[in-house]
Amino acid sequence: MENEDLVELRNVRKAFGEVVALDNVTFSVKKREIHGLLGENGSGKTTLMNILYGLYSPDKGEIYFEGKGVKIPSPFDSIRLGIGMVHQASTLVPEFTATENIILGTEGDKYSLPLDREREKIKEISKNLGVKFPLNIKVKELSAGIKQKIEIIRALYRGAKLLILDEPTTSLVESEFQELLKSLKALLNSGVTIIFITHKIKEALQACDRVTVLRRGRVQGIEKREDTNKEKLVKLMFMEKEIRVTESALPKVELPPCKKSKDPVLILKNVTVEGGEKSIGLHNVSFEVYGGEILGIASVSGNGEKELAEITINPYKIKNGDILISGKSIKNHETLDVFANRVFYTPEDRIKEGVLPEGSIKENILLGHHAKERFIRNNIFINWEEARKAAVDVIKNYNVMTPTEELAIRRLSGGNIQKVIIGRAFVSPINLLVTHNPTSGLDISTVEFIFKKLVETRNSGSAVLWINEDLDELMIISDRIAILHKGELKEIFERESFDKYKIGLLMIGG
Amino acid sequence: MKKSVKRTESSIIIRNVFAYFISVLLALGVMSVIILLFGFNVSKVLKTLLTASFRTSFGFQETIKKTIPLIFTTFAFTLPFKIKFFNTGGWGQMLFGATMVAVTGLFLSNSGITLPTYIIIPLLIIVGILAGGFFGLIAGFLTAKYNINPIISTIMLNFVGVQFLNFIATNSYFKDPLEGHPITLPLPKSATLGFFGGIPHSIIFAVVSVLFVYILIKKTRLGYEINAIGYNLDAAKTYGINFPRIIMLTFFIAGALGGLAGTFEVMNIHKKLVEGFALTSGAQYGTFGILTSLIVAGNPIGVPFSAFLMSVLLVGADALQRTMQVPVELVFLSQALIVLFIVIIRQRFERGR
Repeated sequence: MENEDLVELRNVRKAFGEVVALDNVTFSVKKREIHGLLGENGSGKTTLMNILYGLYSPDKGEIYFEGKGVKIPSPFDSIRLGIGMVHQASTLVPEFTATENIILGTEGDKYSLPLDREREKIKEISKNLGVKFPLNIKVKELSAGIKQKIEIIRALYRGAKLLILDEPTTSLVESEFQELLKSLKALLNSGVTIIFITHKIKEALQACDRVTVLRRGRVQGIEKREDTNKEKLVKLMFMEKEIRVTESALPKVELPPCKKSKDPVLILKNVTVEGGEKSIGLHNVSFEVYGGEILGIASVSGNGEKELAEITINPYKIKNGDILISGKSIKNHETLDVFANRVFYTPEDRIKEGVLPEGSIKENILLGHHAKERFIRNNIFINWEEARKAAVDVIKNYNVMTPTEELAIRRLSGGNIQKVIIGRAFVSPINLLVTHNPTSGLDISTVEFIFKKLVETRNSGSAVLWINEDLDELMIISDRIAILHKGELKEIFERESFDKYKIGLLMIGG
Repeated sequence: MKKSVKRTESSIIIRNVFAYFISVLLALGVMSVIILLFGFNVSKVLKTLLTASFRTSFGFQETIKKTIPLIFTTFAFTLPFKIKFFNTGGWGQMLFGATMVAVTGLFLSNSGITLPTYIIIPLLIIVGILAGGFFGLIAGFLTAKYNINPIISTIMLNFVGVQFLNFIATNSYFKDPLEGHPITLPLPKSATLGFFGGIPHSIIFAVVSVLFVYILIKKTRLGYEINAIGYNLDAAKTYGINFPRIIMLTFFIAGALGGLAGTFEVMNIHKKLVEGFALTSGAQYGTFGILTSLIVAGNPIGVPFSAFLMSVLLVGADALQRTMQVPVELVFLSQALIVLFIVIIRQRFERGR
């Protein structure tokens, strides 16, 4: 029984125009296992699962579910078969409660909405799974981790025997990931089979019983957890590319010795920012960042790191204290004045704050530089030819996969969008780069690229303020790490004395 | 690679023209059925509707006279629409511009001040720009400062515009005592514009406005910032674009363009302020500007064409009413149908991409 296949996709092919997304892929999942689907961004993981879920139809190939050949023309059909999918981005209606979201789209009674009855059912399901969440609070008030649980419960409520999780950890913090793992084990015990899509080797090794590795639309290998290790998986994922990885399966990038500048580039002096309903603010934060160093800021999300990033570009939000760039106070300056002082910024949420989705790559490259001498005449007319040149340079130097700089940026993949955002930071010469979670959601080769770029920036004598929620990443290429907890700067560690345990403890207030 | 992109661009234009053509045909098709149900001769009605503008030089001049103000009110809607805001106040901005131009001109002549043409004409145009711009700026300011939806503020200001015009037209200081209706004294001759064989001189300003808006949107920093805000307000703010300043500036310019529509109605067409204007042709220009803009999706080069098309239908409607007693509502219906079909078909085409 245990070794029977629940689902099998046989010789599946799917092309979008001239791009072959999946080429003769055969993929099978046994009953009651957590099966990882591992690959870089754009390797075909999501396409494969969208075929299984009925969002795309394959050009060729068959699907077998519980031993029978099936056709899945739409998600209705996959739900009917017992396939549930939790997408990478939340698909819940923010204004609805958990209960309303879960029963949405199912058939209720003819004329009434049996909320109370169904709520009991939902409670039952979540109790079996050992998860708890408020059923009567609007979903928009809840955290990403809880929203994900609601989506999982929704799939189970609809009778899912097979649950597909598409990059489920993208918006989770480490502790939420551990909780998710627990829930998955409970699910397994109740008889549900799970497909776990990820680009993170570490997670695949922690979560999955078996892993199928995809690369450029082809299956590279199927590995059992007992018989594999991260080196093997990296090799399968990246064949021709040589990527060295650390203990935690992150790219290993060297941090050569580098001479710090005599004077700091960025100084924060007793900076206080008022907290609000949703933000903790900053309390009396002081530190310096020198040219030729990367200062990492470690904090659990919601401990003031957002405000810290914010005040470097909007210093007028500082209530008390001072902020200096190259010895000059920029307090009360507008963002463009800050940029004029050779500072640039890449935001945490790249889609929401980083790009103009409908705008071309060229228009996006110009953003933030549009008041600089190179790109403007008489402070009125944009020099579009220069903007085009800058965009072409970024596309070339950062290996952005696009036919032209006129393409709307929303049509690029996440990794390529981030390359444009990072590339934009270096369009004008800078002394300070402030970057917030630049690697989140990206595959290991793009992460390696970004690490190298940060080190290169530091080696050239610029200062880098790197706010990041992943401590493992910070430890690889930071010269120093400062810990932010509840809006206060706890301690700054020098590279020689990095200690994951100590830093991690300080991050949670220990 | 480069070439294929160019090719798709020109194919998009061809496709768009094709889409417009289909939309108009569909609208005319549906309209024919309705005309038939009303008991009129379909071919005669359609012929009158579509050819009234071209059969006589008078018809053509009338069409151009309507096209000019429509171009201005269309732009009044187009610019704020780029930042995803509805300026439904082109009407009020136009009326306030018209009223202030008349007030200024008549105040000067009533006070016995005579200025040479080359001073008074630019002066009145500037008054019209500032008056319309002021009306726009109120909406922009309320949005920037108190986050008030401009649909609300601009609609309210429309009423203010109508009532203020009525007030001036009936005020004894301005009113023409020889007229039975509320109409002001005529502007001094030096303050009016003439015609090129039936085509108003103001056409020059309409052409300039097309160039102005085109350059503003495509070439200037302000245009870039407007587009950036329209694409993604959060990203625009993150990278230093000053939203309150841009929205106020945008609404000022939009209002100014609306104000120019009224300015030239007073200086070039009526040569005085007519109370009836507010609710008749004035109401048409003020509200149809929204439709005219939506038809071409805010593309400034397309605006004169869609304004002309709309004017052809307006003139055709007048002719139908006069010659065949066809209710004018039937023509409004057809205009609505054309806009609706264009929007639907363009949406289909865009989804296909």
